[in-house]
Amino acid sequence: MAVATVTHPGFAGHAEEPDQLYVETRELRIQGFLLFMVSDLVLFSSFIFAYLYLRNSGQGWPAGGPKLDIALAAINSIVLFGSGATMHFALENWKHGSFTKFANWIVMTIILGAGFLSGQVLEYIHIGARWDSGIFGASFYTLTGMHGLHVLGGIIYLTVLLLQAAQGKYTYTKYTGLTLGTLYWHFVDVIWVVLFSIFYLL
Amino acid sequence: MAATAVHAGGGLADHIHPEPQGFVRKYVFSIDHKIIGIQYMITAFLFMILGGMLAELIRVQLMKASGGLMTPETYNEVYSIHGSTMVWLVIIPLLTGGFGNLIFPVQIGARDVAFPWLNMLSFWIFPVAGLMLYASFLMGAPTAGWTEYPPMSLQGQAGTSMWAAAIFLIGVSSTMTGINFLVTILKMRAPGMTYTRMPLFVWGQFVTAPLLMIATTALGAALAALFMQREFGVAFFDPARGGSPLLWQHMFWFYSHPAVYIMILPAFGMISEILPTFARKPIFGYKMIAFSSCAIAILGFMVWAHHMFTSGLAPALQVPFMVLTMLIAIPTGVKIFSWVATLWGGVIHMTTSMMFAIGFLATFTLGGITGVFLAAVPFDLHVHGTDFIVAHLHYVLVGGSLMGILAGLFYWYPKMTGRLMNETLGKWAFWLFFIGFNGTFLPMHWLGMWGMPRRVAMYDPQFQGWNQVASWFSFVMTAALILVLINALWSMRNGKRSGHNPWNARTLEWQIPSPMPYYNFKHVPSVFAAPYDFAEPLPYRGLEEELTGAPPPVPAAH
Repeated sequence: MAVATVTHPGFAGHAEEPDQLYVETRELRIQGFLLFMVSDLVLFSSFIFAYLYLRNSGQGWPAGGPKLDIALAAINSIVLFGSGATMHFALENWKHGSFTKFANWIVMTIILGAGFLSGQVLEYIHIGARWDSGIFGASFYTLTGMHGLHVLGGIIYLTVLLLQAAQGKYTYTKYTGLTLGTLYWHFVDVIWVVLFSIFYLL
Repeated sequence: MAATAVHAGGGLADHIHPEPQGFVRKYVFSIDHKIIGIQYMITAFLFMILGGMLAELIRVQLMKASGGLMTPETYNEVYSIHGSTMVWLVIIPLLTGGFGNLIFPVQIGARDVAFPWLNMLSFWIFPVAGLMLYASFLMGAPTAGWTEYPPMSLQGQAGTSMWAAAIFLIGVSSTMTGINFLVTILKMRAPGMTYTRMPLFVWGQFVTAPLLMIATTALGAALAALFMQREFGVAFFDPARGGSPLLWQHMFWFYSHPAVYIMILPAFGMISEILPTFARKPIFGYKMIAFSSCAIAILGFMVWAHHMFTSGLAPALQVPFMVLTMLIAIPTGVKIFSWVATLWGGVIHMTTSMMFAIGFLATFTLGGITGVFLAAVPFDLHVHGTDFIVAHLHYVLVGGSLMGILAGLFYWYPKMTGRLMNETLGKWAFWLFFIGFNGTFLPMHWLGMWGMPRRVAMYDPQFQGWNQVASWFSFVMTAALILVLINALWSMRNGKRSGHNPWNARTLEWQIPSPMPYYNFKHVPSVFAAPYDFAEPLPYRGLEEELTGAPPPVPAAH
C-alpha cells in the first residue's frame, strides 16, 4: 500500500517547504474563513432567535407539538456526524501523503452528506405541514432548509476540492483549501447539533 | 540583531500586486484598495444627489400644511427611499468602503487589504443593489419608511420585496467588507505597528468591522424573513397565523442600532485624525478614545429595544434598556472631552477641514444629548413618532457622520488627486452648510415637542410657520452641498498642487507621494510610536526612498 502514497503529483516534492508568502497568505485565508463562519453563525442565530421568540410569544404554537419523527432525525444526525468523522480522516490522510485514502474518505463524506439530505426530504414528506401554515412551518422549514442548503453547498464544495486535489492543486505542504473545506463541513455539523436540540429535544 | 535585514514579519512585505495595465484593470475592475475607495466615494456621492433630491421633495411638500406637491402615497415612497438611500447607499459606504478603503491600509503600513478580489466584489455589488433600490419606484416603492415595520410593509406593493432584496445585497457587500477589513487590521500591520500605535482612524475601522460583519448579517436574516413572508407566505410576522410583527422590530433594531455606530465610529476616527493635525497637538487621551469606541460597540448591541418603547415592550424590559442606552453617553462623552482637550491650548489652523471637524463637535454633541433625552422612557413616550426623532437622527447622521465625511473629504482629497480643494469655496460651503443644517433641523425639536408627527404628507396648520423655516434653510444646506461638489470637481484639474504632505500630518499615508502609488510603499516601514507626538521626529524607519525616484518594488513570484 505504500506505493499509493507517491502516485499523486502533488506529493512529488516532499522536500519542498512552504515559502514565507504562502504562510502569510494561509494565515489570512484561515482568519477570513473563520470570520465568514462567525457571520454565518449570526445568520443562523437570528433565525433561531426568531423561532424561540415566536414559540414563546404564546401566539398559537401547536399545543401537542408538531409531528416530528425523532427516530428518523436521530439516524440522520448520526449520518451527518459520521460524515464529520470521515472528513477528518480524509484531511489526516492528506497530511500523511496518501491521495488514495484521502479520495476514498472524501467520497464517503459526500455520500453520507447526500444521505443526510435524503433523510431530510423524507422528514419533510413525513411532517406534512406546509411552510406557510403557521409559525412552526415558518421556523422549521427556514432553519432546516437553510441548513440543508449549507449541506448541499458543502457537497459541491467538497467535490470541487476533490477534483482540484486530483489535478494537483494542493501539495503535501500547501493544502489550505482542504483545511478550509474541512472547517466548513464541521461547522455545518455543529449547526445541526443546535437545530436538532431546539426542534426535536426542546 | 537590530541591524540585520529583517524580513518584515507580520507586515506581509511581499504582497505586491503587479502594476495594473489598461483602463479597465486600472479604474473599473481594479483590485487596488485606493481605486476601490474612490469608486465607492463617487458612487455614494451620486446616490447622495438622488437621496438629496428626495429630501428636497419632502421639504417642498411640507412647505404647506395641506401638502400639495405629491399624493400621500407618493410622499410615503419618497421618504422611505430617502432614508434607505442615505443610510445604506451613502453614509455607510462612504465611511467604510470609501474612506476606509482609501486610507486605513496605508495607515497601518500595508500594501493592500487582505483579500483584494473580495474587495472588488464588495464594491461592485453596491451600485447594483443601489439601482435595484431605485428600480423599486417602478414597481411601487416601499411606503413604511426605512424601517419597514410590518404589517404595513407586508401590504406594500411589489417594490417592498425589491427593497428587501436590494438591502440584503448591500448587507452581503458590507459583511464582506467587514471581514476583509478585520483580517487586514489583525494580520497585516507593519512591523512595530502595535494596537496602541495605530492611528485612531484605524481604530474606528477596527471597531466598525465586526459590527459590519455581525449586525449586517442579522439584518440579512430579518430581510430574508420579510421577503419570504411577502413572496412565499411564510408566517413570521403575520399575527393571524401566530407570527408577530414585533419580531421584525427586534430583528431589525438588533441590526440597526449597531448600524448607527457603524455610521459614526469611523467619523469619530476621522475627527481624531483631523483635530490634532490642525491643532498641532498630540491627541488628548489616545487610549481613552480607542477603548471608548470598543465600549460603544459592545453597548451598541445591548440597547436595540429602546426603539420599541411604544411598541408594547414589557415594562420590566424598558428600564434595563433605558439604563444601558444612557450608559452609552459615558464613552461618547469621554471622546467629546478628549477632543475639546486636544483643542485646548493648541495652535489652531482654521482650514475648511478643521472647520467641519469643529462643526462636527458642536452638532454631534447636540444630537448626542437629545439621544439621552430619548433614552428616557417617559420623554420617549411623549415625542415618539414626532419631528423630535427626525431632529435627533439628523443631528447625529448629518451633523455627525456627514460633517465628518466632509471634513475627511477636504483633508484627504490631496491623497486622491495630488491637489488641494479650494479653501475659499470650502469655507463658504462650510458656513452655508452649518447655517442651513441647523436652520433645517433645530426647529424640528420644538415642532416635535409640540406634536408635529413625522412621516405625514399633511399636517395641522399651526405648525406651518416653522416648517417653512425648515424648508427654506434646507435649500441653503443643499446649496452648500452643491458647492462642495463643484469644488471637488473643479479642484481635480485646477486645485493647488498639494505635494505629499500639505497639512504636515504625521500618519503614514502622508509620508508617501500624492496620489498614492499602486504599491503604497517601496519598503514597508517599521513603526516605533503612535503618530501623534508633534514635538518628536516621525516614528517611522525605512521611508527614505518613498519620495525619491527609486524603482518601485518587484511583485513576488506568485
